[in-house]
Amino acid sequence: MSQVIFIKGLMLGIALAFILPILLPPGRPWRVPGGIVLGLATGLILAALIPGGYLSYVISFLIMASIYGLLSLGLNTQWGYTGHLNFGVAGFFAVGAFTSALMTIEAPTGVAAQYTQVLFGLEMPFLVGVATAAVVSGVVALIVAVPVLRLRMDFLAIATIGVAEIIRLIFQNERWLANGPQPLRGIPQPARCLFESEGCAWLPEGMAWIIEPLTTRDYSAFYLIVVAAFLALLYLIIERACRSPWGRMLRAVRDDEASAAMNGKHVTYARVQSFVVGAVVMGIAGALYAHYTVAIDYSHFHALFATFIVWIMLMLGGSGNHRGAILGAIIIWAVWSGTSFIASGLEPVLAAIHEELPGRAQYIRWLLVSLLLAGIVLFRPQGVLREEMRVSNYLRKDGGSRDG
Amino acid sequence: MAVPGTDHEQPAAEAQRLGERLREMTRTRTFLIATLIVILALMYLFGALSGAGSRLMSLTAWGLMLGGVIALGSIGLTLVYGVMKFPNFSHGALVTLGAYVTYTVLPLLPDGPTLSPLSFGYEFLVAMVVAMPVVGAVAIALDRAVYRRLRRTGSHLVLFAMASLAMAFFLRSLIYLIWGPDFHFYYPGQPNPAFRLPLNIRVQGDQVFILVMAFVFVAGVSALLEWTKMGKAMRATADNPDLAGVRGINTERVIAWTWGLGGALAACGGVMYGLSSQLRPEMGFWLLLPMFAATIMGGIGNPYGALIAALIIGISHQVSTSFLDPTYGPAVAFVLMVITLLIRPQGLLGRDGG
Amino acid sequence: MPLLKVDDVTAGYGDMEILRNVRMEVAEAEVVALIGPNGAGKSTLMKTVFGLLHPKSGTITYKDRPIHGHEPHDIVGLGLCYVPQVDNVFTTLTVEENLDMGGYLLPDSQLPERREWVYEFFPRLRERRRQRAGKMSGGERQMVAMGSALMLEPQLLLLDEPSAGLSPKLVDEIFDNIQNINRAGVAVLMVEQNAQKSLEMAHRGYVLANGENRFDGTGRELLADPDVARLYLGG
Repeated sequence: MSQVIFIKGLMLGIALAFILPILLPPGRPWRVPGGIVLGLATGLILAALIPGGYLSYVISFLIMASIYGLLSLGLNTQWGYTGHLNFGVAGFFAVGAFTSALMTIEAPTGVAAQYTQVLFGLEMPFLVGVATAAVVSGVVALIVAVPVLRLRMDFLAIATIGVAEIIRLIFQNERWLANGPQPLRGIPQPARCLFESEGCAWLPEGMAWIIEPLTTRDYSAFYLIVVAAFLALLYLIIERACRSPWGRMLRAVRDDEASAAMNGKHVTYARVQSFVVGAVVMGIAGALYAHYTVAIDYSHFHALFATFIVWIMLMLGGSGNHRGAILGAIIIWAVWSGTSFIASGLEPVLAAIHEELPGRAQYIRWLLVSLLLAGIVLFRPQGVLREEMRVSNYLRKDGGSRDG
Repeated sequence: MAVPGTDHEQPAAEAQRLGERLREMTRTRTFLIATLIVILALMYLFGALSGAGSRLMSLTAWGLMLGGVIALGSIGLTLVYGVMKFPNFSHGALVTLGAYVTYTVLPLLPDGPTLSPLSFGYEFLVAMVVAMPVVGAVAIALDRAVYRRLRRTGSHLVLFAMASLAMAFFLRSLIYLIWGPDFHFYYPGQPNPAFRLPLNIRVQGDQVFILVMAFVFVAGVSALLEWTKMGKAMRATADNPDLAGVRGINTERVIAWTWGLGGALAACGGVMYGLSSQLRPEMGFWLLLPMFAATIMGGIGNPYGALIAALIIGISHQVSTSFLDPTYGPAVAFVLMVITLLIRPQGLLGRDGG
Repeated sequence: MPLLKVDDVTAGYGDMEILRNVRMEVAEAEVVALIGPNGAGKSTLMKTVFGLLHPKSGTITYKDRPIHGHEPHDIVGLGLCYVPQVDNVFTTLTVEENLDMGGYLLPDSQLPERREWVYEFFPRLRERRRQRAGKMSGGERQMVAMGSALMLEPQLLLLDEPSAGLSPKLVDEIFDNIQNINRAGVAVLMVEQNAQKSLEMAHRGYVLANGENRFDGTGRELLADPDVARLYLGG
């Protein structure tokens, strides 16, 4: 095994070691250590067995699946736990992406400034960008939440679709803000210098040889670790929060608002809180997306890509279940990626029907995915994984009495 | 001096009562109307300040026409929303479908003379009349395939909304597959002369036609709801579906009629929208927010309300173009909708407590 | 031949059985009262008869025709009409429109005549025929509900707690109305909280408890029965 393959395998393994413990069945003591060992082993084996081109496909698949996992997780805190019908996921995703991009990008000067206009480019570190994305997305959610959350569920759905559309319109039209409608390019990637020939200034002398043979093409393996770490961290935090009294209150609010109010719960606050928390997670997902793709524009945040598919993920995984939400994201992203093969496989058939059809094969993917959502809604609305009933750490698994 | 005993004893309670009275006052129809008037006035002011003063009358006229398009789309939406009680996100796709079906039927018909001052001939109206039942049938088929199953299992409103979102994307991908992503025109390259009215207003014959059609259809649907047995049964089903069944109304049949009518009207809206601009697969989605805004502002289930609200939204949209990028049209509609929801969620013509 | 025959019916929601092996009969032009404590299954029985709930086992026949498993809009054409306890008028429709919806299955030409017949029983509805039912008082709504059910000239009227929530004076008025309707030849099956009053008026009565038949007999017999009196008449 060459050094390059080993390091790439190790990076993939570390990323999987973050993701797999989430996906393994809960309530088993070996879940975390087992997941870590399994993840590391899988990473190394995959790197050793499959050729480099396919390996980068696996890596980019996992990055996008994890970003969607975060979106699904965020939506789950809103819908699965409080019953907010947010049809505007794309909006918060976009706010996160553009915020982090503007925080970290270098403001163009001279001739470049004629082609790329931005409100500001602060050249801040990556983590500051992500944190700001989270905050701004949360603030936008708060602004939306205050007037809209006390409305009926169906009005909320319409209103959030509207919010997402307006956010998209702003990034499309306002050149001064983030170069709309042209793409905003040159979003920096964290620690990318490690993979560049000059190396990073902050890296200790003795360490350089480890990453020396890697090139910028291998950067995505490192970025996968970053994304996976965010996914694992946010999963842990939200899982904790939802098992706390706060999470139980959210469920009480969702299942029966009137009686929750009678029990002295601050129903309105609870609803706003969960909406904002969900939006924060979506904003972080947006930031991670921006730094992954390096160039973003408004068309990336279409309702199709960033709202509809997230709902399918969550519905498949089973709302009210964070593990299911992430599992659903991975499965649906696999299905979605798979449909591109179906679509290209169908091209000869389409060509036989009409000469123009092969060029439209991509729309077959949307057809299949929309039928998938309809199928889930009709036949398995509770999702593949049901909501776990054990919501309190103080309840035993058998649903028995309180032991404290 | 204030009435003795009230100003010193319980200032907190007094303040609370004042707050309640204020809230009562702001929840009224009058307050909503006043707010909308103020917003419209502000828009005209902005328009005048940004130097579009001479164009404002023309913009208003065009706004009325755009309102006609939105109204035609909204009647079907408000009807389905009122009876079925869920926001049908696939209504925009039905609008698009109607426009495209007409586009396909049109070349099959013999070209008639152009009905001056309109830009089209009889064949265009025939094509539209063919498209309307087709889209109505599609709406009924979707109901049979999806929504009826959900009704049978007593599903929550949320699942209906989600299923309609799925159907929106389903129809949209079908439209892309069949007709492709390119723009189309009903009569490419045909001149569409505008005639000049007093006050330097320029309008096209087509635009007037659209507006007249919106009024005719709204009056027709309202008459249907008010006077015919099926219309009354629709209102009864909207009011209380269980009781409607108990009274001998076959609610499934009523619902099928509602979908059929809603789909046909959506098609008509799409055709008029296509006539006034161009056909593209996203046209219905663009219209979705204005249509929902008109439906909610007018009061769900109320065609007259939808018409009035659509005209307000159309005018606001056009006037706002004098100081905003025109692509922000849906945003203007959205803001008006949110204002309505905040002041009076049952809309301009909705009943209290509904 | 009984008009309505409920035989050995078991019914409920989901896995929960509310009625167990219930029997009941209503003869032509008879007033039958169904009484029992809260949760005894009286309203459930009414809903099961009317097809709003399908029985798990047992048969329900109307004029010897099985009607269990049929939908309400099919049953209503056979000659039995149902007045639910709550939400029994279309609040956004006028009185006249409510009546027309009651006569939905009739040809339009017959509607005016039928409305006149209903106004004979409830003259007050004629005065208010243009008013929306949602703006009316509880007693008036009950009249609209009963009037709508009468539009099809049923032979059997099912009333679910017609006097619930009404003032004593209105209760008397509603009971007078029921009596008048019965005198016109319409059989009445009613669920009532007001057991005393309904048994006084009823030809026969059934007492349900825990979803099962407990007692039955003529109105007088039940009123005289010390067990019934102790348990359900508050005596």
